[in-house]
Amino acid sequence: MNQFQYVRPTKQKAAIDALAKDANAQIIAGGTNLIDLMKRGVMAPQKLVDINKLPLNKIERDGSNTRIGALALNGVVAEDKLVLEKHPLLAQALNAGASAQLRNMATVGGNMLQRTRCHYFYDTALPCNKREPGSGCGALEGFNRMHAIFGFSDKCIAVHPSDMSVALVALDATVLVSGPKGDRRIPFIDFHRLPGDTPQKDTNLEPGELITAVDIPDAPFTKNVHYLKVRERASYAFALVSVAAALNIENNTIKDARLAMGGVAHKPWRLTEAEKSLVGKPATEETFRQAAEVAMRGAKAFKYNQYKLKLAPNSIVQALKTAAAVA
Amino acid sequence: MKEQSPKQSGAIGEPMNRVDGRLKVTGAAKYSAEYELPGLVHGVLVGSTITKGTIKSIDTRQAERAPGVLAVITYLNSPKVPGFAERDHPAEPPTAGQPLRVFHDNKVLFNDQPIAIVVADTLERARYAASLVKTQYDQDKHQTNLEANLDKGFLPVQAKKNPKSPLADYQRGEVDAYKNGATKLEAEYVIPTEMHNPMELQAIIAHWEAPDKLTVYDKTQAVMGTQRAFAKDWGIPEANVKVIATFVGGAFGNGLHNWPHETAAIIAAKKTGRPVKVVLTREQMFTMVGYRPYTWQKIGMSATPDGKLTAITHESVGQTSSYEQFTESTLQQTRMMYTSPNVTTRYRIASLDVSTPIWMRGPGEATGAFALESAIDEMAYAVNMDPLEFRVRNHTDTDPDNGKPWSTKYLKECFQMGAERIGWKNRKQQPGAVRAGDWLVGYGMGVGTFGAHRGAATVRARLQKNGQLVLQSATTDIGPGTGTAMVQIAATTLGMPPEKITFQLGNSTFPQAPSQGGSSTVNTVGAAVQDACIALRKKLQQLASATPNGAAFNAAKPEDIVISEGHLSLASDKLAKAAYADLLKQNNEAEVEVVTESKPGNDRDKYSMYSYSVHFVQVHVHPLTGEVRVKKIISCADAGTIINQKTAGNQMMGGAVGGIGMALTEGAVIDDRFGRYVTKDLADYHVPVHADAPNMEFAFVNKPDPHVNALGTKGIGEIAIIGMAPAIANAVFNATGKRIRELPITPDKLI
Amino acid sequence: MNPEPEQPNHDEARRTFLKQSSLLTAFAFTPGPVLQAAAAEIDEKVASAFEKVPVRLDINGQKHKLSIEPRTTLLDLLREQLGLTGTKKGCDYGQCGACTVHIDGKRVNSCLTFAVMQEGKEITTIEGLANGDKLHPMQEAFIKHDGFQCGYCTPGQIMSAVACIREGHADSDDEIREYMSGNICRCGAYANIVSAIQEVKNGGQKV
Repeated sequence: MNQFQYVRPTKQKAAIDALAKDANAQIIAGGTNLIDLMKRGVMAPQKLVDINKLPLNKIERDGSNTRIGALALNGVVAEDKLVLEKHPLLAQALNAGASAQLRNMATVGGNMLQRTRCHYFYDTALPCNKREPGSGCGALEGFNRMHAIFGFSDKCIAVHPSDMSVALVALDATVLVSGPKGDRRIPFIDFHRLPGDTPQKDTNLEPGELITAVDIPDAPFTKNVHYLKVRERASYAFALVSVAAALNIENNTIKDARLAMGGVAHKPWRLTEAEKSLVGKPATEETFRQAAEVAMRGAKAFKYNQYKLKLAPNSIVQALKTAAAVA
Repeated sequence: MKEQSPKQSGAIGEPMNRVDGRLKVTGAAKYSAEYELPGLVHGVLVGSTITKGTIKSIDTRQAERAPGVLAVITYLNSPKVPGFAERDHPAEPPTAGQPLRVFHDNKVLFNDQPIAIVVADTLERARYAASLVKTQYDQDKHQTNLEANLDKGFLPVQAKKNPKSPLADYQRGEVDAYKNGATKLEAEYVIPTEMHNPMELQAIIAHWEAPDKLTVYDKTQAVMGTQRAFAKDWGIPEANVKVIATFVGGAFGNGLHNWPHETAAIIAAKKTGRPVKVVLTREQMFTMVGYRPYTWQKIGMSATPDGKLTAITHESVGQTSSYEQFTESTLQQTRMMYTSPNVTTRYRIASLDVSTPIWMRGPGEATGAFALESAIDEMAYAVNMDPLEFRVRNHTDTDPDNGKPWSTKYLKECFQMGAERIGWKNRKQQPGAVRAGDWLVGYGMGVGTFGAHRGAATVRARLQKNGQLVLQSATTDIGPGTGTAMVQIAATTLGMPPEKITFQLGNSTFPQAPSQGGSSTVNTVGAAVQDACIALRKKLQQLASATPNGAAFNAAKPEDIVISEGHLSLASDKLAKAAYADLLKQNNEAEVEVVTESKPGNDRDKYSMYSYSVHFVQVHVHPLTGEVRVKKIISCADAGTIINQKTAGNQMMGGAVGGIGMALTEGAVIDDRFGRYVTKDLADYHVPVHADAPNMEFAFVNKPDPHVNALGTKGIGEIAIIGMAPAIANAVFNATGKRIRELPITPDKLI
Repeated sequence: MNPEPEQPNHDEARRTFLKQSSLLTAFAFTPGPVLQAAAAEIDEKVASAFEKVPVRLDINGQKHKLSIEPRTTLLDLLREQLGLTGTKKGCDYGQCGACTVHIDGKRVNSCLTFAVMQEGKEITTIEGLANGDKLHPMQEAFIKHDGFQCGYCTPGQIMSAVACIREGHADSDDEIREYMSGNICRCGAYANIVSAIQEVKNGGQKV
């Protein structure tokens, strides 16, 4: 790991200034992903802006939103009373991610900004357009077991590794950012990008912008929710496929639904059409199967991730079944 | 809950707490990388990024100029290692061939081969400078895929030289007789490359105390083997090489060979004149310290309709490197486990452009048992018989491999103990017939066996005036609790409280012992401890002769001598009683010492000696997501005398967890285009975590084997895992009707 | 609590200045083709004198005033500079839990944080868990239930286990398994570890 400058501002503006001044600067908060990547030479910032002294860790009500500060720790959010009461799906997703130790370090903002776990991205001796634009995509013809079935390009087939983000995109969250040009709000669904020709860009954050909080609007998804994560061991592993499912059921009829998947695309994958197909129907396995079918339209697999074409819809069905069964 | 008494007699069999437990729970136990030496510097290895070829140029200038850097060593400036043979293939144990000659020439033989070491004053600086070394290569075409190279499998050199080698082709009865069987099956089985991945990263501190005197603090399972290897490498007397491995943070076999990072550290210490510490990264643990080789197997099997095996053919091709011939006993269980009149085995290895494998827990036997015990289950289904009943029906009371009687064999007892505990009667033969909520429930079993090996060892026993007994042996403890078992053997043999006994190990200056491997440590060193303590007892009796009650002791018959609580006494004479410490004082002796060599007798010529395990598992399989959860494990073992029920149970538990990994989660993947591992850390290579490990129960037959040694032990470590993976695979079949013959059984294979 | 610098660290300011001035010198006197190599050299050599920053940490109740490189992880600081080798390095990537310590009472992976980021924090390692010679109940329970074999993951398991109970995540075997899954034991002593945690939890002692 190279040497770097280390600064620890206590004011948001100072942090943004420090970030904007230097194209090679990176924010560090929990550090759980950045330090990992720095150790492997995948990222080599010249300057680290430690934002842990900024007052951005509150979880509070803001009108009909729950506002979660960017520095709120994953472990704290997962057990926060307000979150458990209003957005239990988010708590489930957070608890499905990483380990208790990592959740005590990782922040909400950092979780969104996790880089992909693609093997080719992580190894500087292998080609990767995300790490080194123009070097090629190692995964396209390589070991692509963990890779995307939606929204990929011929430049990049990596998936986003976050669990939390899958819940947040399902819950219509909004990301609050602050930058040299002022503050703005980014709908969560637009926060992460598809790879296209510029896979090096994971998100639509502008240079110098800092995530300050996430807003989650109130919605009647407080009971029939489930986050299902299918992985290669029982805990502490990245998802093969994950599903965030939220249902509002009245008299066994689905009034409203939210559905998103992880492990299938370069961004948390919201399934709006499938949601629509659920509304007004009885909460039965047959309904869920139809929704899963809708969800899978346009999916395409590679040599080693063909199984996702079956695992993904199966997981949707199972997640919806479990959500519907919550008494 | 009833508290255990903190004071324990330490008798053989008692579940005594570990003697080194306190050191381990307080963080005071020192592992190889944790010794502080004056002037210590850090070495970081640079690995090749191609798989095969030659180094065209290696630019170290930038690295050399980086702050704190003391040296950058490559083949261009490395001190020559005198023992590196110039020939490529002198055949030498433990593997035939030439261990990698690090920094010897410009050849690249596998991806991530160490090609340079950067030495700096701090770890951070060494690591950074290592990233500045720039290398250019001339690449050759490489082969890293075993299945694409099965046709290149060859007979290992041992088997070529000696047709009686266990690795040679074997036949009993008619060759490939299964082809004419009444009910027959033919199937291929694949296990991927599996990594030992002990929690402690491989580490060494190398220190030249004088130009011809080397001390290493080294993670190894063989302090004496390592001493011999380095003495030979550097052309110095063995006595000048000291190897310390007091604590070893797991190894599972990867400490049974010497690896390039060890020699790289020694070279770096030579070059810089400083003690050099090298700790591998987790990625380097995948490329530099061995692994369980990718292995393809094929089984042909036939049986009569009433379930008698008539023939088995078992073939295997395992991968090895281009510079060493690694071999293991993959096919042995097939030769001796079942009474089949016709058995054919063919063992081959294929050289690939990869680093050399090394035995991983249960080694080849675990690999072979996956195929054999899966096939047995398949055949039981083929003849529509309960797989337990099928195994009982083909049980053999003598070794069909050589006609010898078993030294002991309590396999049927294990069948019975396990079947009761798991509730085998709840199993339905029809797959998918049992459910628990959404989940499918399946039961499976597998059998494991491993040779009960015993080697020669010497133990020093020193009784001190203060009544403390110190035992020394150059064995190691990678986790089974060697010291604890030895203290119990000594406590029982000498009638002493365990807290007065210390067992010292992991030091090459101690009396000779073999490596810790092959489940043989208690068989070998335990026997030597027992012999040393018996010799010490005789000496104490002689000392007693010179005391006021000496005449009585002198005249005493052996059966009249009582040893208890650190005292020698006579059953016939209440007055004749002397504390060991007093015996020394009365004789003006500071200490009494014996050094005893202990060797196996010739019973091995008369008997076949094996440990056995039977694993019963219950699994749940989710029909939609393909997830498998092992819900219950019952393992029963015939391992001879159990020295410590607690640590022995823990060994079984560890083998079970290792078996869960083998069956369900583990497999390292090379992208053959680059010849480079793409799953090479603990996030991508999944070893089981807490949530994967269910409630488990273990039962031991605990009957001594009188032929292995006087203690009656047979060995536990390997049988704990051998047969576990097929037990789980068989349970998955029972749950789903899906026969998975390629490990690991990940969700994609079941949906 | 110490005031936090809004300004870049004082060393850093000097370093930046020196770096720039040296580079300027290098530019002035060096012919073009070798400029890059020379720049790299000067960059590093100048940096080396000023690359350390001051940090104050409270480790196991003992206050430390240290001068360290910002790139030094807490784990490497403990093991390589302070001789506190009870905290183990098993992967260095937050994937095994062997390096688990408590920072201000919370369990974290010390391999994935720079020591400089923990300025002013209270850190407890395995060496600080016992009360003098008296072992912590969790240490006692690990010995009694044989919650380890090789012992290498053990300090991390114990630090994590203590936190698991304090957090209230030890109500059932399954909950313990889930919340201990960040601590890998390759020897596979998991079931014994769960028993040890259950005993301490049910024993009602203060952890």
